[in-house]
Amino acid sequence: MKPFRARGGQLVARVDRAEAGVVGLLLDQLEQLLAADRADSSGDPVIDRLFPAGHRSDPALAEDYRGLTEQALRGGKADDLATVRATLPADGGDVRLDEDQAGAWLRTSNDLRLALGTRLDIGEDTEPPEEIADEGDHQLAVYYWLTALQGSLVDALVAGRAGRR
Amino acid sequence: MAGPLAPTRAPETTVEERGDLDRPWVTIVWNDPVNLMTYVTFVLQELFGYDEPTATTLMLQVHHEGKAIVSSGPRERMEHDTSRLHAYGLWASYQRDS
Repeated sequence: MKPFRARGGQLVARVDRAEAGVVGLLLDQLEQLLAADRADSSGDPVIDRLFPAGHRSDPALAEDYRGLTEQALRGGKADDLATVRATLPADGGDVRLDEDQAGAWLRTSNDLRLALGTRLDIGEDTEPPEEIADEGDHQLAVYYWLTALQGSLVDALVAGRAGRR
Repeated sequence: MAGPLAPTRAPETTVEERGDLDRPWVTIVWNDPVNLMTYVTFVLQELFGYDEPTATTLMLQVHHEGKAIVSSGPRERMEHDTSRLHAYGLWASYQRDS
Protein backbone atom coordinates (compact mmCIF):
# COMPACT_ATOMS: atom_id res chain seq x y z
CA MET A 1 0.00 0.00 0.00
CA LYS A 2 1.07 3.53 -0.79
CA PRO A 3 -0.66 5.74 1.80
CA PHE A 4 -3.02 8.56 0.85
CA ARG A 5 -1.51 11.87 -0.28
CA ALA A 6 -3.21 15.08 -1.36
CA ARG A 7 -2.33 15.51 -5.01
CA GLY A 8 -3.81 18.04 -7.41
CA GLY A 9 -7.03 18.44 -5.45
CA GLN A 10 -7.48 14.69 -5.13
CA LEU A 11 -6.61 12.15 -2.45
CA VAL A 12 -4.53 9.39 -3.97
CA ALA A 13 -3.33 6.05 -2.59
CA ARG A 14 -2.27 2.78 -4.15
CA VAL A 15 -3.33 -0.70 -3.08
CA ASP A 16 -2.09 -3.99 -4.48
CA ARG A 17 -4.33 -6.76 -5.72
CA ALA A 18 -4.28 -8.80 -2.50
CA GLU A 19 -5.08 -5.72 -0.40
CA ALA A 20 -7.97 -4.77 -2.68
CA GLY A 21 -9.27 -8.34 -2.34
CA VAL A 22 -9.20 -8.21 1.46
CA VAL A 23 -10.98 -4.84 1.51
CA GLY A 24 -13.57 -6.20 -0.94
CA LEU A 25 -14.33 -9.14 1.36
CA LEU A 26 -14.64 -6.88 4.38
CA LEU A 27 -17.03 -4.65 2.42
CA ASP A 28 -19.15 -7.71 1.58
CA GLN A 29 -19.34 -8.65 5.27
CA LEU A 30 -20.23 -5.11 6.35
CA GLU A 31 -22.85 -4.86 3.63
CA GLN A 32 -24.52 -8.08 4.82
CA LEU A 33 -24.47 -6.84 8.40
CA LEU A 34 -26.06 -3.50 7.41
CA ALA A 35 -28.72 -5.23 5.33
CA ALA A 36 -29.69 -7.74 8.04
CA ASP A 37 -32.93 -7.26 9.94
CA ARG A 38 -32.48 -5.64 13.29
CA ALA A 39 -34.19 -8.66 14.89
CA ASP A 40 -31.71 -11.10 13.28
CA SER A 41 -28.68 -9.13 14.42
CA SER A 42 -29.88 -8.16 17.89
CA GLY A 43 -27.23 -8.82 20.47
CA ASP A 44 -24.46 -8.63 17.83
CA PRO A 45 -21.82 -6.45 19.52
CA VAL A 46 -20.73 -5.04 16.14
CA ILE A 47 -24.25 -3.77 15.41
CA ASP A 48 -24.39 -2.34 18.92
CA ARG A 49 -21.13 -0.50 18.26
CA LEU A 50 -22.13 0.77 14.80
CA PHE A 51 -25.50 1.96 16.14
CA PRO A 52 -24.90 2.87 19.78
CA ALA A 53 -27.65 3.83 22.21
CA GLY A 54 -28.37 7.55 21.86
CA HIS A 55 -29.25 7.83 25.54
CA ARG A 56 -27.40 5.77 28.12
CA SER A 57 -29.73 5.65 31.11
CA ASP A 58 -33.23 6.10 29.68
CA PRO A 59 -34.32 3.10 27.56
CA ALA A 60 -37.42 4.95 26.29
CA LEU A 61 -35.34 7.86 25.02
CA ALA A 62 -32.82 5.44 23.52
CA GLU A 63 -35.61 3.62 21.69
CA ASP A 64 -37.05 6.95 20.54
CA TYR A 65 -33.62 7.93 19.19
CA ARG A 66 -33.20 4.59 17.43
CA GLY A 67 -36.56 4.96 15.73
CA LEU A 68 -35.69 8.46 14.55
CA THR A 69 -32.17 7.85 13.31
CA GLU A 70 -31.26 4.23 12.62
CA GLN A 71 -32.78 3.93 9.16
CA ALA A 72 -31.01 7.09 7.96
CA LEU A 73 -27.74 5.96 9.58
CA ARG A 74 -27.98 2.56 7.88
CA GLY A 75 -28.73 4.25 4.55
CA GLY A 76 -25.77 6.62 4.94
CA LYS A 77 -23.42 3.75 5.75
CA ALA A 78 -24.70 1.74 2.77
CA ASP A 79 -24.18 4.75 0.44
CA ASP A 80 -20.65 5.26 1.77
CA LEU A 81 -19.89 1.57 1.28
CA ALA A 82 -21.11 1.72 -2.33
CA THR A 83 -18.84 4.72 -2.97
CA VAL A 84 -15.84 2.84 -1.57
CA ARG A 85 -16.62 -0.20 -3.68
CA ALA A 86 -16.97 1.93 -6.82
CA THR A 87 -13.61 3.65 -6.26
CA LEU A 88 -11.63 0.58 -5.16
CA PRO A 89 -9.66 -0.94 -8.06
CA ALA A 90 -10.54 -4.65 -7.76
CA ASP A 91 -7.24 -5.78 -9.28
CA GLY A 92 -5.18 -3.26 -7.35
CA GLY A 93 -3.97 0.15 -8.49
CA ASP A 94 -4.57 3.81 -7.68
CA VAL A 95 -7.45 4.94 -5.49
CA ARG A 96 -8.33 8.51 -6.58
CA LEU A 97 -10.87 10.39 -4.52
CA ASP A 98 -12.53 13.78 -4.53
CA GLU A 99 -13.40 15.25 -1.14
CA ASP A 100 -16.90 13.71 -0.92
CA GLN A 101 -15.56 10.28 -1.85
CA ALA A 102 -12.80 10.75 0.75
CA GLY A 103 -15.51 11.34 3.37
CA ALA A 104 -17.11 8.04 2.41
CA TRP A 105 -13.74 6.25 2.67
CA LEU A 106 -13.11 7.84 6.08
CA ARG A 107 -16.45 6.67 7.47
CA THR A 108 -16.43 3.22 5.89
CA SER A 109 -12.82 2.46 6.85
CA ASN A 110 -13.78 3.52 10.37
CA ASP A 111 -16.81 1.19 10.32
CA LEU A 112 -14.59 -1.68 9.16
CA ARG A 113 -12.12 -0.92 11.96
CA LEU A 114 -14.96 -0.72 14.52
CA ALA A 115 -16.32 -4.07 13.31
CA LEU A 116 -12.91 -5.79 13.37
CA GLY A 117 -11.89 -4.05 16.59
CA THR A 118 -15.08 -5.21 18.31
CA ARG A 119 -14.73 -8.81 17.09
CA LEU A 120 -11.04 -8.89 18.09
CA ASP A 121 -11.72 -7.15 21.41
CA ILE A 122 -9.14 -4.45 20.68
CA GLY A 123 -8.12 -2.45 23.76
CA GLU A 124 -5.89 0.54 24.45
CA ASP A 125 -2.94 -1.83 24.96
CA THR A 126 -3.39 -4.02 21.87
CA GLU A 127 -0.27 -4.15 19.69
CA PRO A 128 0.20 -5.16 16.05
CA PRO A 129 1.08 -8.88 15.66
CA GLU A 130 4.80 -9.67 15.47
CA GLU A 131 4.19 -12.68 13.29
CA ILE A 132 1.21 -14.17 11.51
CA ALA A 133 0.73 -17.58 13.16
CA ASP A 134 -3.05 -17.96 12.98
CA GLU A 135 -6.25 -16.42 11.68
CA GLY A 136 -6.44 -14.08 14.68
CA ASP A 137 -3.00 -12.62 13.85
CA HIS A 138 -4.10 -12.21 10.26
CA GLN A 139 -7.25 -10.32 11.28
CA LEU A 140 -5.21 -8.14 13.62
CA ALA A 141 -2.78 -7.37 10.79
CA VAL A 142 -5.72 -6.36 8.58
CA TYR A 143 -7.00 -4.11 11.37
CA TYR A 144 -3.66 -2.31 11.58
CA TRP A 145 -3.44 -2.09 7.80
CA LEU A 146 -6.83 -0.33 7.81
CA THR A 147 -5.62 1.90 10.65
CA ALA A 148 -2.61 3.02 8.56
CA LEU A 149 -4.81 3.58 5.50
CA GLN A 150 -7.41 5.61 7.40
CA GLY A 151 -4.74 7.55 9.31
CA SER A 152 -3.03 8.55 6.06
CA LEU A 153 -6.38 9.73 4.65
CA VAL A 154 -7.05 11.90 7.72
CA ASP A 155 -3.54 13.37 7.50
CA ALA A 156 -3.87 14.01 3.75
CA LEU A 157 -7.24 15.76 4.22
CA VAL A 158 -5.86 17.91 7.03
CA ALA A 159 -2.76 18.78 4.98
CA GLY A 160 -4.89 19.57 1.91
CA ARG A 161 -7.07 21.94 3.90
CA ALA A 162 -4.11 23.66 5.56
CA GLY A 163 -2.56 24.15 2.11
CA ARG A 164 -5.67 25.93 0.84
CA ARG A 165 -5.81 28.46 3.68
CA MET B 1 -21.60 14.64 1.62
CA ALA B 2 -23.14 11.19 1.81
CA GLY B 3 -24.06 11.30 5.47
CA PRO B 4 -27.48 10.48 6.89
CA LEU B 5 -30.17 13.10 6.73
CA ALA B 6 -31.14 14.97 9.84
CA PRO B 7 -33.86 13.26 11.86
CA THR B 8 -37.05 15.26 11.76
CA ARG B 9 -39.26 15.72 14.77
CA ALA B 10 -42.10 18.01 15.76
CA PRO B 11 -41.15 20.43 18.52
CA GLU B 12 -41.82 19.11 21.99
CA THR B 13 -44.91 20.67 23.47
CA THR B 14 -45.19 18.74 26.71
CA VAL B 15 -43.70 20.44 29.70
CA GLU B 16 -41.92 17.91 31.84
CA GLU B 17 -39.84 18.47 34.91
CA ARG B 18 -40.71 22.15 34.88
CA GLY B 19 -37.89 23.06 37.21
CA ASP B 20 -35.36 21.62 34.74
CA LEU B 21 -36.44 23.67 31.76
CA ASP B 22 -33.43 25.94 31.95
CA ARG B 23 -31.01 23.04 31.98
CA PRO B 24 -29.94 22.38 28.42
CA TRP B 25 -29.16 19.01 26.94
CA VAL B 26 -25.64 18.02 26.02
CA THR B 27 -23.97 15.71 23.51
CA ILE B 28 -21.12 13.64 24.91
CA VAL B 29 -18.35 11.79 23.09
CA TRP B 30 -17.00 8.77 24.99
CA ASN B 31 -13.52 7.30 24.75
CA ASP B 32 -13.07 4.11 22.78
CA PRO B 33 -9.95 2.19 21.83
CA VAL B 34 -10.52 2.10 18.06
CA ASN B 35 -11.10 5.67 16.86
CA LEU B 36 -7.85 7.44 15.96
CA MET B 37 -7.05 10.65 17.84
CA THR B 38 -6.44 12.49 14.56
CA TYR B 39 -9.77 11.21 13.24
CA VAL B 40 -11.73 12.35 16.31
CA THR B 41 -10.15 15.82 16.06
CA PHE B 42 -10.96 15.97 12.33
CA VAL B 43 -14.59 14.93 12.85
CA LEU B 44 -15.15 17.49 15.64
CA GLN B 45 -13.85 20.23 13.32
CA GLU B 46 -15.89 18.96 10.41
CA LEU B 47 -19.21 18.62 12.26
CA PHE B 48 -19.09 21.49 14.72
CA GLY B 49 -16.79 23.97 13.00
CA TYR B 50 -14.36 24.02 15.93
CA ASP B 51 -10.92 25.40 15.20
CA GLU B 52 -8.07 22.93 15.41
CA PRO B 53 -6.89 23.84 18.98
CA THR B 54 -10.45 23.58 20.37
CA ALA B 55 -11.10 20.26 18.64
CA THR B 56 -7.75 18.92 19.88
CA THR B 57 -8.52 19.99 23.47
CA LEU B 58 -11.88 18.18 23.34
CA MET B 59 -10.31 15.08 21.78
CA LEU B 60 -7.65 14.98 24.52
CA GLN B 61 -10.37 15.36 27.17
CA VAL B 62 -12.15 12.34 25.68
CA HIS B 63 -8.90 10.41 25.63
CA HIS B 64 -7.71 11.24 29.15
CA GLU B 65 -10.96 11.71 31.08
CA GLY B 66 -13.09 9.21 29.18
CA LYS B 67 -15.61 11.69 27.83
CA ALA B 68 -16.20 15.29 26.78
CA ILE B 69 -19.22 17.48 26.12
CA VAL B 70 -19.00 18.53 22.48
CA SER B 71 -22.25 20.49 22.12
CA SER B 72 -25.19 21.71 24.18
CA GLY B 73 -28.67 23.03 23.45
CA PRO B 74 -32.24 21.82 22.95
CA ARG B 75 -32.89 18.07 23.04
CA GLU B 76 -33.79 17.84 19.35
CA ARG B 77 -30.50 19.40 18.33
CA MET B 78 -28.55 17.08 20.63
CA GLU B 79 -30.28 14.07 19.07
CA HIS B 80 -29.26 15.41 15.68
CA ASP B 81 -25.66 16.02 16.79
CA THR B 82 -25.49 12.51 18.27
CA SER B 83 -26.67 10.97 14.99
CA ARG B 84 -24.10 12.97 13.01
CA LEU B 85 -21.38 11.65 15.31
CA HIS B 86 -22.75 8.11 14.97
CA ALA B 87 -22.54 8.49 11.18
CA TYR B 88 -18.77 8.93 11.68
CA GLY B 89 -18.55 6.05 14.13
CA LEU B 90 -17.82 8.14 17.20
CA TRP B 91 -19.21 6.77 20.44
CA ALA B 92 -21.68 9.50 21.37
CA SER B 93 -24.85 9.98 23.40
CA TYR B 94 -27.00 12.86 24.60
CA GLN B 95 -28.47 13.61 28.00
CA ARG B 96 -29.76 16.44 30.13
CA ASP B 97 -26.91 18.50 31.49
CA SER B 98 -26.16 17.53 35.08
